[in-house]
Amino acid sequence: MTPRQILHAALTGAAAPRIPVFCNLFDHGAKEMKLHPKAYFADGACVAEAQLRMQKRYGYDNVWCLHYVGKEAELLGCKEILFADDGVPNVADFVIKSWDDIASFEVPNDITQHPAWQSIADCLAVLRGEVGASHPICAYVTASTTLPAILMGMDKWMELFLLGPADLRDELLRKCADYVQQHIAALRAAGANVLVYSSPFGSPYFVNKKVIADIVMPWMRRDLALGGTDDLVYYCGMAPFNDVIEPVIEQLGIRSHYISPLADLAQAKRLINTRGLTCGVIDDIKMIHWSAGEVRAEVRRIVDIGKPGGHFLFGNGVMPMAVPEANIRAMLDAAFEFGQLP
Amino acid sequence: MTLANYIQAYNEAVFETDRPAALAVVNQALSDGFSPEDIVFELVIPAVESMMDRIEKDPDSNLAQHFMTAQIAADVTEKMLEKFSSPPQIIGKVVIGAASGDLHSLGKRIVSGCLKSLMVEVIDLGINVGAEQFVEAAVANDAQVIAVSAMMVHTATGENGSIKVRALLKERGLEGRIKLAVGGAPYRFDPELYRKVGADAWAPDGVTAAKVIVRLINEAKT
Repeated sequence: MTPRQILHAALTGAAAPRIPVFCNLFDHGAKEMKLHPKAYFADGACVAEAQLRMQKRYGYDNVWCLHYVGKEAELLGCKEILFADDGVPNVADFVIKSWDDIASFEVPNDITQHPAWQSIADCLAVLRGEVGASHPICAYVTASTTLPAILMGMDKWMELFLLGPADLRDELLRKCADYVQQHIAALRAAGANVLVYSSPFGSPYFVNKKVIADIVMPWMRRDLALGGTDDLVYYCGMAPFNDVIEPVIEQLGIRSHYISPLADLAQAKRLINTRGLTCGVIDDIKMIHWSAGEVRAEVRRIVDIGKPGGHFLFGNGVMPMAVPEANIRAMLDAAFEFGQLP
Repeated sequence: MTLANYIQAYNEAVFETDRPAALAVVNQALSDGFSPEDIVFELVIPAVESMMDRIEKDPDSNLAQHFMTAQIAADVTEKMLEKFSSPPQIIGKVVIGAASGDLHSLGKRIVSGCLKSLMVEVIDLGINVGAEQFVEAAVANDAQVIAVSAMMVHTATGENGSIKVRALLKERGLEGRIKLAVGGAPYRFDPELYRKVGADAWAPDGVTAAKVIVRLINEAKT
């Protein structure tokens, strides 16, 4: 079976030789291609090449076209990204500097015509051509209720969200939701077939369940109104969200859930059960200092919880650059070994 | 209505992230004859301390509650301080900022808001702060604590962050009088990480961080 078939089997409960094993290596690509991150991320074909090389070397199931989260801010007017040799790029120029800027903030009519889209299109074109038929091609979509955090900064967004005028907040969210709809459609059209829908404000770690139900959920419904949700994975930026799994399945129709390492995985598996896919996620920040043996033991613990009954995938978070390569190998070796199905 | 009732009503409002209700409690206390000093020392500070305990014990408390705890306490304290008959005595000073390469400011805003309401002077160096800048500011302001916020793994563990602050403190013989606190998302995922970056303490959230920093201030002063 191809990795895409294995993923589909896990989602539907069909027979497969093993669980799907995903590995997210975003910032490692620049090192792989021996380029500074700024030059690396500017070249979509280069990002694709790095993804393909790393996938081939380690043998995991997925590839990514995510450049960095701030790429979405660039599509919406951000002019400066702070790149780092050893980690994740930061948004260094907020498109919305004050609440007054919200009125003039505009979403492009067609984001695929924006210069910042070109590297995404190039990356997806290569991935689609090379492994589109056989491997899941992952892309990242920031939800409308979280997108303002990269447009104006998290503290200013939190202030507007919780304390500001509701009409101004909703004006911004309307524009963000329009962008999200466009973004999802563009990624699908370019060849992405697994969309990780990142919605930290859809986690009770960020706001309480009433706020999620009253404010966040309606905007998520709007984000996802077009094109279905079969290819979506619910993710809250590594924050726990077990308490909203039920409404996410029932109201949004998202069946795949990327569970935080801080959450109770067994509880999440019980909640999702055979209705979809539970993704057990290792705490890869701890992997920086763990031994290979500790990594292996943790993978086994996660797989032992999730594998019985199927409908399970193993994955990691953002894999910090400081994690030793031996630990990445130990993680994947253990996932393939313990993830075998009868 | 007793002060205990006010504290409870105020904290329930904060916990529900309802600022108008929290401010209504404060206004009611004022109109019932409590002085601005009473409001800060008998209502806001005990309420923040109570909220710290509640958040520390409640793994399900959320970021919005932390934000509102700090925001409302800082707002009320600032308004009341303007009406004080004489300036209040501060309990210590902290230099705070986001680590080198880190542009996130929410965490330190929550910590700073709580600390200000607890009568701690906060010297906020902003974001993307170099290790030398932290140490220079702490020395220049005679601060007892340096607090370094890092929301990304590479800014938490990088050589230009807390690790370098610790090295500078050691090099300059300042470890006895200046303590180092850290916070931010990576520390939640690895609670032992603070030791590996040379910090004296960490906290899982901004509100608890204020409690930890007050403890470090007291340790540094003794």
